[in-house]
Amino acid sequence: MLMGLLFSIVAGALVGLQNIFNSKVNEHTGSWMTTTLVLGLGFAASLLLGVVFEGGEMFRLNMSSMQTWYWFSGIIGVGVVTCVVQGVRRLGPTFAISIVLITQLVTAMIWDTMGWLGLEKVPFSWNKLAGVLILIGGILVFKLGGRNAKTTEKVHIHDSI
Amino acid sequence: MRGILFAILGGAFITFQGVANARISQDLGTWQAAALTQCTGFVVALLVLLAFKDGHPRQFKRVKPLYLAGGSFAAIVIFSNVKAIELVGVTFSTSSVLIAQLLVTFLIDSFGWFGLPKQQMKLPQFIGIGMMIAGVVVMGWR
Repeated sequence: MLMGLLFSIVAGALVGLQNIFNSKVNEHTGSWMTTTLVLGLGFAASLLLGVVFEGGEMFRLNMSSMQTWYWFSGIIGVGVVTCVVQGVRRLGPTFAISIVLITQLVTAMIWDTMGWLGLEKVPFSWNKLAGVLILIGGILVFKLGGRNAKTTEKVHIHDSI
Repeated sequence: MRGILFAILGGAFITFQGVANARISQDLGTWQAAALTQCTGFVVALLVLLAFKDGHPRQFKRVKPLYLAGGSFAAIVIFSNVKAIELVGVTFSTSSVLIAQLLVTFLIDSFGWFGLPKQQMKLPQFIGIGMMIAGVVVMGWR
């Protein structure tokens, strides 16, 4: 539990930082230019860290375990950028990002319960539902509770999660 | 209405992306999965970029190098996210990731770091974060 929490905090903190940096790039270069750069650098960094931690093992891929859709998984990220950018453009950042965050949680719970794609099933429980509802309430208070129009909310969730 | 649909799809895709990375990691290894998805994503994004000819490549010079490097964080983000999903499941990891993410963004906002206009945290933001943490605690209750 603790390790899982720790990994989540690292991921979340870096995503927050990355969103701010990416939106700075985006102001100057445009959203597809930014997305291409971000994914290209992410690829380079993954390759580098893979080699640092695993050496030659990094390239010893077991092709028989490779399913066809793995080759297309990168398209999901492109879908993320398209939808989030369009949502923000039509609804404004506060409202759009609130919906994005809430949907993330709801689909996460559905996924755990169904165990799609052969992921380990985490059974539904009432306290999990209660927790998610409280969390969603928190997001709404946080996002919609009086604050000036913000610049950082012009986030482009370009990546990763 | 269409905006709402896009936002919902966006959120669903983000979760799907995390799950897909976790699934691919089971077969190929985590760094391999991170490299593969971002490599294929990079190719698709590049094709879209070339097709729409959208953007201003010369403007890259006007962005601070530190900000340009943000993309490289994704390697650690994907690795940590996959490990978290393996350890505690999609719901719990997504919840904690979101809290950390919002907290960092708002810290940066309140201190005005990275040249962002300083913005004060107000009561609703504190209450909101408090509720979110309470939600995770309730979730983890056994």
